[in-house]
Amino acid sequence: MKPKPASVLLSILLSVSLMAQPPGTKAEVVPVTALIPEDAEIQKVIAPFAAEIKASFDLPLVQAPQGLFRGRRGEENLLGYWVSDVMRGAAEAVTGRPVRLAITNAGGLRSNLRPGLLKVADIYELMPFENELVVIELNGAEVIQVVKESIVRRGGEPCSGVKAVVQGTPEAATLTITWADGTPIDPAATVKVATSDYLYGGGDSIPTLKKGRKPFTTGLTLRQILLDECGRLAKEKKDLVAPAPGRYTIPVPIQEAIRDKKFKF
Amino acid sequence: MDRRDFIASLGVAAVASHLPLWAAEDPSSGRITLLHTNDTHSHIEPFGPGNGPISGLGGVARRATLLRQLRQQLGSVLLLDAGDTFQGTPYFNRYKGRLDYQLMRMLGYDAGTLGNHDFDNGVGMLVEAMESMEQLQHSSPPFAFVNCNFDFKGAPDLGRRVQPYLIREFPGLRVGITGAGVAFAGLVAPKNHEGIGWKDPYESLRPVVQRLREVDKVDLVVVLSHLGYDMKGAAPDDLQMPGRVAGIDAIIGGHSHTFLETPTRVPQARGETLIFQVGFGGVNLGRMDFAVARGTIRSASGSSMPVLG
Repeated sequence: MKPKPASVLLSILLSVSLMAQPPGTKAEVVPVTALIPEDAEIQKVIAPFAAEIKASFDLPLVQAPQGLFRGRRGEENLLGYWVSDVMRGAAEAVTGRPVRLAITNAGGLRSNLRPGLLKVADIYELMPFENELVVIELNGAEVIQVVKESIVRRGGEPCSGVKAVVQGTPEAATLTITWADGTPIDPAATVKVATSDYLYGGGDSIPTLKKGRKPFTTGLTLRQILLDECGRLAKEKKDLVAPAPGRYTIPVPIQEAIRDKKFKF
Repeated sequence: MDRRDFIASLGVAAVASHLPLWAAEDPSSGRITLLHTNDTHSHIEPFGPGNGPISGLGGVARRATLLRQLRQQLGSVLLLDAGDTFQGTPYFNRYKGRLDYQLMRMLGYDAGTLGNHDFDNGVGMLVEAMESMEQLQHSSPPFAFVNCNFDFKGAPDLGRRVQPYLIREFPGLRVGITGAGVAFAGLVAPKNHEGIGWKDPYESLRPVVQRLREVDKVDLVVVLSHLGYDMKGAAPDDLQMPGRVAGIDAIIGGHSHTFLETPTRVPQARGETLIFQVGFGGVNLGRMDFAVARGTIRSASGSSMPVLG
């Protein structure tokens, strides 16, 4: 059947209207059976692996009474702040030197930590990738540029150690970046910065990180340092709580311009 | 087409898509059903509670049952996957994709393609997962990997395991299957795709599709695409592909995790292309049915089937 133009149009209209429905809304779809039992043979193959996974991944880690969340539109990524705080702490521990900034990418955080007792599996879901903690050197001007790029491309990637305030309108915006304690950043000073091998390698949103000098590849995966931090908290009988917001202050119209990719400083 | 004809045509599509298919009597005509997944992301088990509308859906053992039921009803079937089999649950972290590929073989997959996340542990580990699947003792044969826009010159172990296209013969028709992968930049760390170059997918697909049509004389051309459904002009995608590469009948897409209920039909130089993608995590199984007679597609339809337990 060669489709007539009218039928092509109708088909397109039909599929567009179906596409607009949320997943789970049924159109003319009739499953072979309403409920599908598990195939016994395949289930038998999976069972021992599932048991092994369950044994290692069901191990309890730490209580997170309120959970930690990436934040909805317009909210700060407090889960990301925690991850970057842990990165900064771990980087200081392995280098024995102050690390002034840690920055990661929100896209690499694959799930929220729901309230309650966290298990090993929750950290794997949050951080499934084998990304490694890397410590580099940047000057203050480059630190400012890193934060700037993260705001322009992604509305501010999760960071630890600095505070950024954007003011004005999408057409005329000003940016103030200081260290977290409010002291100014000396553009000429050399500082240590923690990030992931993914971002340092040029992945995602922050090209200036590629300029990092004296890279120190720690051999620690981001996942491992998060697991270690949870273990430390539990040992000290502490709960895991989200860091306070306030690292990025960006007016809503500017956030929207960033989302529409229409914003620059 | 008036309303009555339109309703009648819907009826034909519904019959074509949901009733057992008759064996073709005319040797130059045939029917085939493409069953497919994309972005299964190591979701071996069904999604647990707290996952919104996909809670309780999916799971490889249930997919196996659904496939068995469908194969009992259907004639010629191809089982295909559009990539990103890896990454997403502890099963991947622990078993490095070996279990994913082995289960795909046990389920009787015919072919898959490579997504960006399939490189997450590097080329070496990807090859190891493929090897473990090849070496499995099982009645189903190993499945093939297809891609035509990666240059594997610097990665011969992987290159040997990925073919630019393959052809499968069924009663009354021949099917050509190829694949296209998304650019590595920004998605795969350089050390994880060492030795593999990326080429423009449209440029790479054009000669392959042309060859399948004109030299191999296939009746149906299927592309397994890990480019994404609609990249809004920022990168090559499935929606643009039919206008850029003539002669594709079906695009089984992935990467964007797009939930479609039925295939999107896009007109192209040789009729139309059906573009389909069924979410991610194995929560749905996609199905497209094609009836071919004397080299022409007589009917084409499809639907997404939830893997509901």
